[in-house]
Amino acid sequence: MKTRASKTVVIVGGGLTAGLIARQLTAKGVEVLVLERGGDHSKGPESSLPNQRDELRWAVRQGLIQDWSRETYTLRHQHNQTALPVRWMESFLPGQGLGGAGNHWNGHLWRWAEYDPQLRSHYLHRYGKQAIPADMPLQDWGVTYAQLEPYHDLFEKLFGVSGQAGNIGGKKLPGGNPFEAPRSGPYPQAPLQVLESGLVFKQACEQLGYHAFPQAAANSSGAYTNPDGQKLGQCQYCGHCERFICEANAKGSPQVLLYPMLRERKSFEVRLNTQVLGLRYDAAGKRATAVHCLDLLTGEEYEQPAEVIVLAAFTMSNTQLLLHSKIGKPYDPVSNTGVVGKNFCYQVNAGVDLFFKDKWFNPFLASGSTQMVIDEFNNDNFDHSGLGFLGGATIQAYQFSGRPIKGRRVPDGTPRWGTAWKQANADWYAHSMTLGIEGSCYPHRGNYLSLDPTYRDAYGRPLIRMTFDFRDNEQKMAAFLSNKMMEIARHCGADKVGSLQGLVTPFDSRLYQTTHIVGGTIMGETPHDSVVSPHLQHWDAHNLFVVGASVYPHNSGYNPTGPLGALALRLGDDLQRYLQRPGRL
Amino acid sequence: MTDSVDFLPPDSAGSARRVFLKQLAAASSSLPLGKALAGGSATAMLLQSADATAAPSGKPVINTVYGYQSFGPDEAAFVEAMLNIMCPADHLTPGGVDCGLAIYIDRQLAGSFGQGARRYAAGPFLQGAAQCGPQLPLTPEQYFKAGVAEADRAAQRLYGQLFDVLTPQQGDAFLQQLAAGRVAGEQLDLAEWFNSLVYPLFAEACFADPLYGGNVGMVFWKMIGYPGLPATHALDVVQYLGKPYPGAANPKSIADFS
Repeated sequence: MKTRASKTVVIVGGGLTAGLIARQLTAKGVEVLVLERGGDHSKGPESSLPNQRDELRWAVRQGLIQDWSRETYTLRHQHNQTALPVRWMESFLPGQGLGGAGNHWNGHLWRWAEYDPQLRSHYLHRYGKQAIPADMPLQDWGVTYAQLEPYHDLFEKLFGVSGQAGNIGGKKLPGGNPFEAPRSGPYPQAPLQVLESGLVFKQACEQLGYHAFPQAAANSSGAYTNPDGQKLGQCQYCGHCERFICEANAKGSPQVLLYPMLRERKSFEVRLNTQVLGLRYDAAGKRATAVHCLDLLTGEEYEQPAEVIVLAAFTMSNTQLLLHSKIGKPYDPVSNTGVVGKNFCYQVNAGVDLFFKDKWFNPFLASGSTQMVIDEFNNDNFDHSGLGFLGGATIQAYQFSGRPIKGRRVPDGTPRWGTAWKQANADWYAHSMTLGIEGSCYPHRGNYLSLDPTYRDAYGRPLIRMTFDFRDNEQKMAAFLSNKMMEIARHCGADKVGSLQGLVTPFDSRLYQTTHIVGGTIMGETPHDSVVSPHLQHWDAHNLFVVGASVYPHNSGYNPTGPLGALALRLGDDLQRYLQRPGRL
Repeated sequence: MTDSVDFLPPDSAGSARRVFLKQLAAASSSLPLGKALAGGSATAMLLQSADATAAPSGKPVINTVYGYQSFGPDEAAFVEAMLNIMCPADHLTPGGVDCGLAIYIDRQLAGSFGQGARRYAAGPFLQGAAQCGPQLPLTPEQYFKAGVAEADRAAQRLYGQLFDVLTPQQGDAFLQQLAAGRVAGEQLDLAEWFNSLVYPLFAEACFADPLYGGNVGMVFWKMIGYPGLPATHALDVVQYLGKPYPGAANPKSIADFS
């Protein structure tokens, strides 16, 4: 196998975090090579009218999503079961191609709660030593929100985030989220238009004493130029956001805001159609020496040495690369030892449809982030004493699309075909809305990632095996939050309130829930309980860094992108320090 | 799962078309089949008297694409009968075949979807938790056809006739029972087959862009009031907040911008 000329920093995966790290490094002239398994989507039908508006191609057939014939995952719910391969995944959607999942995301941008990075300490402090069940390995991240705040601020400015601040420097502001972590300043842009569904929800929340606010989003409410001079267009509320690339360049995406700029910088290189198969590891020297690459256009395999290697692929891929390359000790739930694959978490969802004869919701007039939200029952924003669970969820009225294949609502009892089915669709399509919850998922000793003993990917590597289910804590939390949501639903004044679509258990790969899977290469304060340090440096290879939602030790009731952006920008700065003096950060 | 379909009286006259098509196919397989005999237009002719949503000209816009890439005659007969039951000609739309739904499904099965593109296909094929998704060594096209054959045999077992010659009432009852898991398959789980493969294809056929052969004349988009393209709504979202959107009456598709 050939060995190519060594690079200073090699980043595996050409998505959001890689782009942010490369921005920090190449600004100082540091040589960066990004390896991306997919191609460039910026000139294709996925990025141009009219074919961008093709629900079947991009949303239903997953035109921008990972090729499951090459790489998928096996699933089992308990560690004593035999896992089977998910042959067509619906529940979460990794991206493929430059920009990664940052191409097809909806754009919701949250900062997590101020206490999220110290969640274990927070719960112990508030509820006492018995607060956290023995099978819930919550842990602190080893970094504080205050340390990340400047990077949150930078990320939001780079991505032109639209939103209404609720807490600037500790001062609560009307119209924003009263539970928001303190911000150093307002959002760069005004919030998105509030839709009819949001107004209905807001009114119901006010009756109940809750504070609804518009979702902060990387969907650009106006024309915007970021601090790098990169531009966003105004969101067109076209309803083709999640699972689509924004042809109007109105969604904050690495493909719009980072990679075109980076490609103009001399010290930056991106290699597309390059599959990373593994890492070369010098266990004695505690160094990752090279990346094993496959050129998908020519079939050539080669080694790419580097001074620093960063894993910035999707959650599952980061974990797979460490396990397959035998770097770090795999987690074993029986002996409760090891760390790689530990604390794999998902997110909790439930919903309810509402039907109003005389209200026009026009579901197709929407962006990927047009929702009104309450945060009263998220995380530990409410008192959990005596509830028997930890965690919580946002409750929201979301309206992201009226795409007709997947985006229709009909009342309970509607036949599945025939004239009555058609009539119900005709009657209610424009006159219905949905409430939902999106909730935390805390780690459980039995939820983890490992290598499958039977099934292999197209490159001969073992598939990642998910051992996952929603455990007792999440089921109780979902039931509690569902009750709160149904109470709001009954205050909305609907002619018909649908039945609760509760959390689906056991975990089902056939249903889209969220793409927010986390854990597997978690961060923490000691090598005993984490894969990477608070600076995202691998404990067993000081020149190897991991970034992504795979480093989160728990999942919160928020979308993961905000802290992801902040951590990636901070890592870019940390790597400059590392390169000046390689060693433990 | 039990085989407890409620029996409806068999329709003895209904088999004429199928028998005729079969005889014709056997006797003259080398002869070009006239359009009037190919599946789609036969029902199209019947529809002329039906009450379907009219285009501005007064006539309903119906499918004009004929000939299947994937279906054989028996499969076509099954699928057409099924789609005309699931989407009967009524005041909302023409019948399913005339809406292009059969062409849509045929083209999907013949194309990359039907051939299993981007779907993990390595063995072994073990049965286990349903939540892992189907574990069959079949492409979607093969699965679709295997299910059609089994469903047709189930219809024959239960009604003494193949599915496509049942009355619409019988056919509807059969599909309801099948979807509810009350028609046992031989090797396949027919409810899983219908609910995970057939039904999604039906919904896609109705509501996907007409580019793919279904939703002819955007009839389903008009039915629900989905305006289609170009969907540049930055002003509309303010102007039509809580009000009917006029563009919903006159949708546009990809072809209108190509």
